[in-house]
Amino acid sequence: MQKRLEIRLKPHLNDPEGEGLRKKAGAYFGMAIESVRTIQIVTLDADLTDAQFIQVKDDLFTNPVTQESSFEPLSTPFDWCIWVGFRPGVRDNAGSTAVEAIEDILDLKIRDGEAVYTSKRYCITGEGLTEEDMVTLASQLLANDIIQQYSVFSKDAWDSAKGVGFRIPKVKLDHTPTVSTMSVESDEVLKTLSDERNLALRAQDIPVIRNYFLRDEVKKDRETMGLTDPTDVELEYISQSRSDHCNHNTFQGIFRYTDISTGETLVENNLFKTYIKEPTLYLKDKKDWVVSVLWDNAGIGRFDENHNYVITGETHNSPSNMEAYGGAITGIVGVYRDPLGTGLGSKLVMGSYGFCVADRDYNGDYQPNLHPRRLLDGVIEGVKDGGNKSGIPTPFGQIYFEKGYLGKSLVFVTALGIMPATVNGKPSHEKRTTRGDLILMCGGRVGKDGIHGVTASSEVFSENTPAGHVQIGDPYTQKKMHDFILEARDEDLIVFITDNGGGGLSSSIGESAEISNGCHVELEKVPLKYDGLDQWEIWISESQERMTVVIRPESLNRFMELSRKHAVESTVIGTYTDTGKLHITYHGKTCAYVNMDLLSEGFPQWEFDAEWQTPERRGLFEPVTREPKDYNRLILDILNRPNICSKEWVSRQYDHEVQGGSVIKPLMGKERDVASDASVVRPVLTSERGLAFSQALLPTYSAIDAYHMTTCTIDEAVRRLIAVGADPDQIGGVDNFCWPDIQFHPENNPDGKFKAAQLVRSCRALKDMCMAYEIPLLSGKDSMYVDGHLKGRYGETLKVSALETMQFSASAVITDVNHAMSLDTKMEGDLVYVLGETADHLGGSEYYEHLGKVGLNVPQVKAAHYIHRYKALARAIETGLVASVHGVYRGGLAVHLPMVAMAGCLGMTVRLADILWEGEDVKRRDDRILFSETPGRFIITVAPSKKADFEKLFSGLGAKHVGDVTGENDALVIMGSNGEMKAELTVSSMKQAYKKRFGDER
Amino acid sequence: MSDVNVLVLTGYGLNCDHETAHAFTLAGAVSTRVHINALIDRDVTLDGFHILVFGGGFSWGDDHGAGVVQAVRMKTHLGEAIEHFIQSGKLVIGICNGFQTLVNMGLLPGFDNDYRSRKVALIHNDCGNFRDDWVNLKVNGKSPCVFTQGMDTMEYPVRHGEGKFYAEPDVMKLLTEQNQIALRYALGNGTPANGKFPENPNGSVNDIAGICDQTGRVFGLMPHPEAYSHAVNHPAWTRHKELAIRAGKPLDAFETPGIRLFRNGVNYIRNSIL
Repeated sequence: MQKRLEIRLKPHLNDPEGEGLRKKAGAYFGMAIESVRTIQIVTLDADLTDAQFIQVKDDLFTNPVTQESSFEPLSTPFDWCIWVGFRPGVRDNAGSTAVEAIEDILDLKIRDGEAVYTSKRYCITGEGLTEEDMVTLASQLLANDIIQQYSVFSKDAWDSAKGVGFRIPKVKLDHTPTVSTMSVESDEVLKTLSDERNLALRAQDIPVIRNYFLRDEVKKDRETMGLTDPTDVELEYISQSRSDHCNHNTFQGIFRYTDISTGETLVENNLFKTYIKEPTLYLKDKKDWVVSVLWDNAGIGRFDENHNYVITGETHNSPSNMEAYGGAITGIVGVYRDPLGTGLGSKLVMGSYGFCVADRDYNGDYQPNLHPRRLLDGVIEGVKDGGNKSGIPTPFGQIYFEKGYLGKSLVFVTALGIMPATVNGKPSHEKRTTRGDLILMCGGRVGKDGIHGVTASSEVFSENTPAGHVQIGDPYTQKKMHDFILEARDEDLIVFITDNGGGGLSSSIGESAEISNGCHVELEKVPLKYDGLDQWEIWISESQERMTVVIRPESLNRFMELSRKHAVESTVIGTYTDTGKLHITYHGKTCAYVNMDLLSEGFPQWEFDAEWQTPERRGLFEPVTREPKDYNRLILDILNRPNICSKEWVSRQYDHEVQGGSVIKPLMGKERDVASDASVVRPVLTSERGLAFSQALLPTYSAIDAYHMTTCTIDEAVRRLIAVGADPDQIGGVDNFCWPDIQFHPENNPDGKFKAAQLVRSCRALKDMCMAYEIPLLSGKDSMYVDGHLKGRYGETLKVSALETMQFSASAVITDVNHAMSLDTKMEGDLVYVLGETADHLGGSEYYEHLGKVGLNVPQVKAAHYIHRYKALARAIETGLVASVHGVYRGGLAVHLPMVAMAGCLGMTVRLADILWEGEDVKRRDDRILFSETPGRFIITVAPSKKADFEKLFSGLGAKHVGDVTGENDALVIMGSNGEMKAELTVSSMKQAYKKRFGDER
Repeated sequence: MSDVNVLVLTGYGLNCDHETAHAFTLAGAVSTRVHINALIDRDVTLDGFHILVFGGGFSWGDDHGAGVVQAVRMKTHLGEAIEHFIQSGKLVIGICNGFQTLVNMGLLPGFDNDYRSRKVALIHNDCGNFRDDWVNLKVNGKSPCVFTQGMDTMEYPVRHGEGKFYAEPDVMKLLTEQNQIALRYALGNGTPANGKFPENPNGSVNDIAGICDQTGRVFGLMPHPEAYSHAVNHPAWTRHKELAIRAGKPLDAFETPGIRLFRNGVNYIRNSIL
């Protein structure tokens, strides 16, 4: 029977959700809505008695204090009503929870095919609202066409007996699972078949694949299993494994790099090997704290003698551009499975975010799939639910606005975990699969979700990108699985574990079977969300919240007992073998039988032409400027810029203290309202050790040279760690490259060669910096094709590519959190130091961007020089010589002196005459001193009593006393080089500028 | 000295179990994390325990109202056992999602020994969003609440989307008269926040942050005392430390107000039951 329950807040209670929509309608569209009341709808498609329906209505779905409900449509008045529900097959988390709860209260089992669906309707009143307005609200704010459906009802058309009707988004696949084969008679035929099925096989790979299947011994082998031509299961497996996402073909490709000014050409054979793997292996040998790198789901470093920590970073760009909330929540929940699947499993201890989007108020002609504002709202909310509901703190993150992200926005998600160094006396970072081990799938079930997600993210986003790969992560299901797996790990039941992400079982089992050298998987055993999936779909589905766990047969009973206790579904779906074959059957019939070493068949490397043109050759130059006169207004305007101003509105939505280990929070200072340099958490509550974490992004420097973009980004991430007290000898890094398409094409990608050269240069910079600062890369990922084809006002399309972007994350141990440092000035009379020289580095700066310019003099890192001052600063912090430390980042001293003053709520007087200048004296100018973004610098305050010790420690390292901390009612006063006052800014005026842009956002 | 045994619930999306157990350990108790299903299946019983903790988290994903499904499950399978636990003089504390669960079970406000009726609610914050921030709290000195005895003001973080306390006027009147309002959001000087945002972070009626039953042995609060178990948890700890150094004060370890609240519970059991 089907019943539709409508639930509303009692009319006299405030409805924050409705109020939120009312405000947004005003802010987005200038729509004057009088009121919005929401009605929750629970549609029960289950065979219950009337008494049972009433019991669930009263005990489960209706709070007698605040709510009213009815199985008939509620009579909330409206001028317009919008109903929004999910499309069939979209994950309805609340619906699934309702099923669990109903089964519990009624002590029965909801049968297969029965379900509970949730939806909502919004009752909207207001004069002069039109149907068109409602369609705008529904399609732009409430529903995303990809996952949701909506209906608009006018007051007159509303049937008060029928209400919204019965909407049952049940998946019905009237389909018998079928394995089909594909002909290998010629390259052309296979290519055509591949394209028809959206397999995304590269033309260059096709002869290799054909060659394999046409080989006599392979044919003979396959005949024994009743196979001839390759099956769709097999070709999907190959396609997944060969995708850029899984195989990193770009970084393993051949680059012919030519410097146009010298004409010299150099061939790079494998960027990954040369610039990431080799330096990391070298540093692993040198640094005994590095435990495991370059093979597992995440890298592992030592935390203390009994614990190791785990770190990785990911992007989830393509899905987030189609469904911002779903893409982002799936991204963060997905990256959390990486540490969970690292070694024998680690407990998640923190996460972070990075969002790169176009101008939030963009009103140009080109239409992205989602307006940047809506996209940003959605990804913020997705990471909020994904992190908060997982019980994992999100104490750090960054948001970057730049017009190039209109084509494709970026969503970075990073995860850290902690694990005991040993499990039952064995190292927890080692794991293997062996013949006879059982393959289990734990967690969620398999549906059509995410099919071809991996291959889609390896393609440029266009109208034809399949929408089916958008999912909605379910942190609740995953949290249960997380707790279960850690308990199973501690009982030493797990011998191998990995997550099911991109490529699904195909990747997780395919890769883990390489260790034992074979497997046999019985696909019919895989639990499905609904019937009718083809075998290949089961094999590559990317349905979320699943881990592949490997146990010995004798552990099965105990493992399943724990699984039941934690209410997690676990199923044996196969065994590992040592036959050298990946063998997949469905009800006993073979649907894939390929050699485990097929993927090392000698697929051709990808090839790229890279041409470097210096910024000068590209016509870049320094803008001709004279010194500004109104510094007060200029500084306030820059504090208000989107990339500088406060993002408190976002930080506060994220639980950054769960797990009880918070040390340095995202917002610090006397009034806890200024962004901190880095986060520090104490992941082991019985220890005084901490883990510091930071990230940086500086894409605008790529407009000049991606080499310097990369060095500056890494330097910033490192300085952020140093500023909070991290140990410079134990810094690990995670590189996340997000690059536009680099494959040259005369029409489709005419500047591909330049972008390829930028990638080569960025990789070189990565290695140079890692070697100079001795940073092993604990993890890293690349996401190419950050381009979009946007529709314009005349129906034309325009390709918009992002600036070459690399996010760098850095982590390090803090030996004693009681010495951790914050940025705020602490006391009147303290001395202000700037550590490090300032040079003419305004190219790509925030100041030039504010003036609409790019410039030429991009900041350059002198890493070998800086490292000495970083080590000295770490000593100074550890020995209590300093009262506050803050790095000088984007915007230069003009932005970061205010940050320090605002955080401490104290005045400060700074004499620009005392700032150390590096370079020609004729270039020295007060505006350049204030706005230059020279890396390597810090603002430090020191108690007068510590002056001598401090200056001694920094002797010869470029620490200069430039001013003093003044009183609570004093301003930040900046004295020019000639002794005249250049700026006088009160703390309250700076805070107003810093906070007003997003201050009221909720 | 006998052990004070604390049971901290885990499972189904709860997530503050580790730090809550840790905080009770620091407060002198022996704490055990127990999966909800281990209690329901009677693999573990409440018998040997003195304090039952409904901790923070997102039980059942907060779908259908925060704490609602957990309350239904606990009431269905363990309602009587928990009432017996309370009647035998032991303590129940609900923090954040745990507080939401206690009010949905009816364990709070528990007027006249009725531990089954829902009389109060914790609903969506007026600010319309989840919010993590530290708040000032003022203790009602007249409240019988065991956990807040001897405390006056403190700071803890709140981290919730559904923490607005709501009840009808008749219920509010009883809560006030019976001094069941144990904890209120306050300004920095300890006076009531009077609904002012962000000091009152969610729009709670009468600035209510926590209530107890008439015995004072069942207590629920939205703020997280377990998140202030170490001096460095406080958002201004680096300032406190530097100012103490300048004033020549020793940097001794101190008991945080978070641990203090739990120690009140532990001491109560020592003095009353053990």
